[in-house]
Amino acid sequence: MIKIETSLANLKKDIAAFYKPELHHFMVMNAVDMGETMEIQWFFCDYAHPCETTCFYTIINPAEEIPSIRNIVVSAWVAEAELVDLMNIKVENTDKGFVLEPDFESGPLRKKK
Amino acid sequence: MGKQYEIPVGAQHIALLEPLHFKFTTENEKIINTDANVYYVHRGIELACCSKFKFRQVSFVVGRVCGLCSISHTTAYSQVAEKLLKIEIPRRAKYLRMLIIELDRIHSHLLCLSHVAENSGFEALFMKTMQYREFSMELLEAVCGNRIQYDFSIVGGVSRDLKPQVADSIISRLKTFMPQLDELMDIYKHNWTLSLKNKGVGAITKQQAMELNLVGPFARAAGLAVDVRNETEDLLPWKEVGFEMVTETAGDVYSRNMIRLRELYVSIRIVNNIINGLPEGDLITETKAFPEGEATVRLEAPRGELFYYAKGNKTQVLERLKIKAPTFSNVAGMVKGFEGNEYGSAPAIIASYDPCLSCTAR
Repeated sequence: MIKIETSLANLKKDIAAFYKPELHHFMVMNAVDMGETMEIQWFFCDYAHPCETTCFYTIINPAEEIPSIRNIVVSAWVAEAELVDLMNIKVENTDKGFVLEPDFESGPLRKKK
Repeated sequence: MGKQYEIPVGAQHIALLEPLHFKFTTENEKIINTDANVYYVHRGIELACCSKFKFRQVSFVVGRVCGLCSISHTTAYSQVAEKLLKIEIPRRAKYLRMLIIELDRIHSHLLCLSHVAENSGFEALFMKTMQYREFSMELLEAVCGNRIQYDFSIVGGVSRDLKPQVADSIISRLKTFMPQLDELMDIYKHNWTLSLKNKGVGAITKQQAMELNLVGPFARAAGLAVDVRNETEDLLPWKEVGFEMVTETAGDVYSRNMIRLRELYVSIRIVNNIINGLPEGDLITETKAFPEGEATVRLEAPRGELFYYAKGNKTQVLERLKIKAPTFSNVAGMVKGFEGNEYGSAPAIIASYDPCLSCTAR
């Protein structure tokens, strides 16, 4: 796995420069709760043989809003909606209520303080 | 412009096998927009795996994510844990894992095909396909002890060996199944009534499949050659046992049927090759290490790419486990695939997606 550090400010620019639909395939987003901070990850894989998994990541304050990449990766809305529900973070233009019911307590995967 | 109607389908509906909710906006019986919700079966499995269970127990927990592709989950988890433990499993264990994955693919594909037939109004074909599928579950029971949720892959290897008489039984049952598969292929390929319901219905282009990042038979039916078995050989040697990529071009329900049927032939060949060339050796690599660092694994489940991410912190309990199921990747394509189709075709389209919400919501 290749890990590439990015920032919320550069995220869209970095992913737009990397992602080519005919070469890469977006897999999923993930978040690792580290208490005061959170690591947000965007996983891509290529169609080549042998394939390579690439992970863009950034460390954020959980209160920060993450930019949406759905203008670059059309199907990213599913992964973004999941992260909003399960990790209780904010993603641009994404409401809660896709993987969990809208009135369900948000962020079941967040570490309890 | 005709009058528009909103038609909710699910979470419980005669055409749905899974608790999924679609809201179709229709005009003159044509679906012009679709909304989807998948929030009915979240079970908190990822949280449980990182809080209540030790890492060696987790393979038994993730086996419960899905009844159908249980072996894919336990194998993918075992592989990601083995990466964190930095161990290599015995060659015999790799072959046995591939054997069960392919037997599981046979039983999953036949189930999907039967439901497409049922949702297309062909009840007799549903019965016939389900009847022919039974042998695969009996074989899985003979090897693993269970018809579903096999708990066969464990961290370090596999939990059971393949007895010679069971290996003989697999070869002989597959020989019996071949003419049955030919018969199914003939019906799904040439039956006029079924083709009316399946051809040109729910179509996705290759370009759309690429842009929407589709996986599995859904993508391959549209001509996108994506199959983890073709892309990775470090963990399981797929090409060594005869894997061959299968693709179609039309991207419709008919093509998805053809993909699954043609993949059954490939799976049968792989199973025969594995049994004929099964290496001798141990079943498990023992270690007393604890998982450390982070790792990812991809594995081709019957519905497509399964992805596991794990992070260990040198304790018995994982820091984070992330599961991405194939249906999760296909949600965007599922919504798109309805557009422009008649509402009456929705049941067959849904069945051809082979959605698994137990996997998706976890």
